[in-house]
Amino acid sequence: MGPLFPLGLIGDELNMLIGFIIGIGFGFLLEAAGFTNTRKLAGVFYGYDFVVLKVFFSAAITAAIGLFLMNHYGLIDIKATFYPKTFWIPTLVGGFIMAFGFIIGGFCPGTSICAAVTGKIDAMVFVLGAIIGIFGYAFTYESIWEDLRNSGAMGRVNIAEWIGVSDGTFILLLTIVAAIAFFAVSVIQKKVTEKNDYQL
Amino acid sequence: MKKFDVIYVGLLLVGAFWAFVINSANDEPIDRVQPCDLLDIVSQTDKYMTTDELARRLMSDDPTLALIDLRSKTEYDKYSLTGATNIPLENVLDDEYVDIINQDIQTVVFYGNSSDLAAKAWMLTKRLGYQNSYILKGGLNRWVETILRPREPQETASRVEFERYSFRKAASSYFGGGSALGESTTTKRLSAPIKRKKKSAAGGGCD
Amino acid sequence: MEKSKTYMNSYLAGILIGVFMIGAYYFSGEGLGASGALKAVVVATVDGVNHDYAKDAHFFSARVQNEEQSPAKSWLVFEVLGVIAGAILSAALAGRLKMEIIKGPNITNNKRLIFALIGGLLFGIGSQLGRGCTSGMVMSGMGVLSLSGFIGLIAIFGGGYIIAYFFRKLWI
Repeated sequence: MGPLFPLGLIGDELNMLIGFIIGIGFGFLLEAAGFTNTRKLAGVFYGYDFVVLKVFFSAAITAAIGLFLMNHYGLIDIKATFYPKTFWIPTLVGGFIMAFGFIIGGFCPGTSICAAVTGKIDAMVFVLGAIIGIFGYAFTYESIWEDLRNSGAMGRVNIAEWIGVSDGTFILLLTIVAAIAFFAVSVIQKKVTEKNDYQL
Repeated sequence: MKKFDVIYVGLLLVGAFWAFVINSANDEPIDRVQPCDLLDIVSQTDKYMTTDELARRLMSDDPTLALIDLRSKTEYDKYSLTGATNIPLENVLDDEYVDIINQDIQTVVFYGNSSDLAAKAWMLTKRLGYQNSYILKGGLNRWVETILRPREPQETASRVEFERYSFRKAASSYFGGGSALGESTTTKRLSAPIKRKKKSAAGGGCD
Repeated sequence: MEKSKTYMNSYLAGILIGVFMIGAYYFSGEGLGASGALKAVVVATVDGVNHDYAKDAHFFSARVQNEEQSPAKSWLVFEVLGVIAGAILSAALAGRLKMEIIKGPNITNNKRLIFALIGGLLFGIGSQLGRGCTSGMVMSGMGVLSLSGFIGLIAIFGGGYIIAYFFRKLWI
């Protein structure tokens, strides 16, 4: 019956160790998928490489299916996990800021850490920038961000419930949309890379 | 798309379809315990709390104890254990009591006159996946026999038995045993419903 | 394009990341994250330098109340330590472990580094305001079908597509 740690079934130390092991898997796969190459990441916005979209959606969908099935068969209680609360305004605004960060910097925090430790100098600078950004945010939190961050609170919202369909239906629709997108981007990528010779 | 791509994406679609099918085929609440797990739970041995253990915890004024008296209101009014809340068996599933019965802060101990009622209530809670509930072994009858009117062991009995006897005698006087059982000498402390709390909430993720 | 052949199949990598994410939820009740660990570093630093300030400032206060435990000793920090180890391992196995700057063909190294710094800065701010970054909020949020994950997805990727044109010189 999961999640094991929040329900008190495993101890603090073991939990940290599991975190480390899961991190190894995550980091290994991010690197192996090519997420340390900033040009591959930025490619998703210019049509020459869609690795981000492919990895991102297949990971999210796998997790959604797996967690749904485990929840259904009583192996895990999703409501006892880290279930992000929805604050739609700051998420939207923060998301746009992150979009600029992504296009300008070419990384997101997870990929930048992987890239920085495998020798990408631009990624090291990005991580430094992110830390400075968090410092800046932290020291201006009360004066600038606090009200905005706490606006638009909706609590724990399940998107399927919010739309008004069952979880299973939503997952199926999401997967079908993703499969169509996967097919479409493979066509787009072929066209774009044929037209221009991109050296990755 | 390459061959392997098609296989992987196909796998995702199969998984999604599976989720879709079981979700629409079966609207049973998901947090119920499955029959095979239930068998394991039923055969576990630590579902009982002995009268000695209960006496010890009551005497130390253990705040983590939630005693549930499953008998009828009249029986409860005649005699009940210290601090017990009266929830007749037929009302166990009522919404107003769910916060008392389904929670993981306190230890829930069910009792009736024998183990019978308590076992039924305990089964129900396990079927719903509630944690931390116990059956008072032997019920009130055993309570009277062992705690309120303990019998002196034979001269030849072991030291352990004598120790237990002296504990029970102390407990007996603490709970006002030996006196007529018709009147309740114990004060009733109906605990207010306690809100559910998780032991340790999951952290903030990326937040 | 030869180089990309040594990369793992994108869908397989995605599915396996999904499996690890399920593991993270099953064992620890956590999603996979990254910016949270950077934040923990910031919080721990500020707390270490000036605990009294950290106790009163709203941003830090909730995270430094536990006097015995360092804010850096959190699940996410260990997870990110694992990410570091995993990334190095994978890069070493694939022979990609070398110092370099990867950039678009039409900009200089210095320009790339300056933009990386600005991008990092924006991501640092955005991830705090938006309650999580691409992996922690969007990907892990989508995994549990949280509405916020999908809002974040639209904001980050939708926003990215809107502004991509204006920054195309950086990449193509």
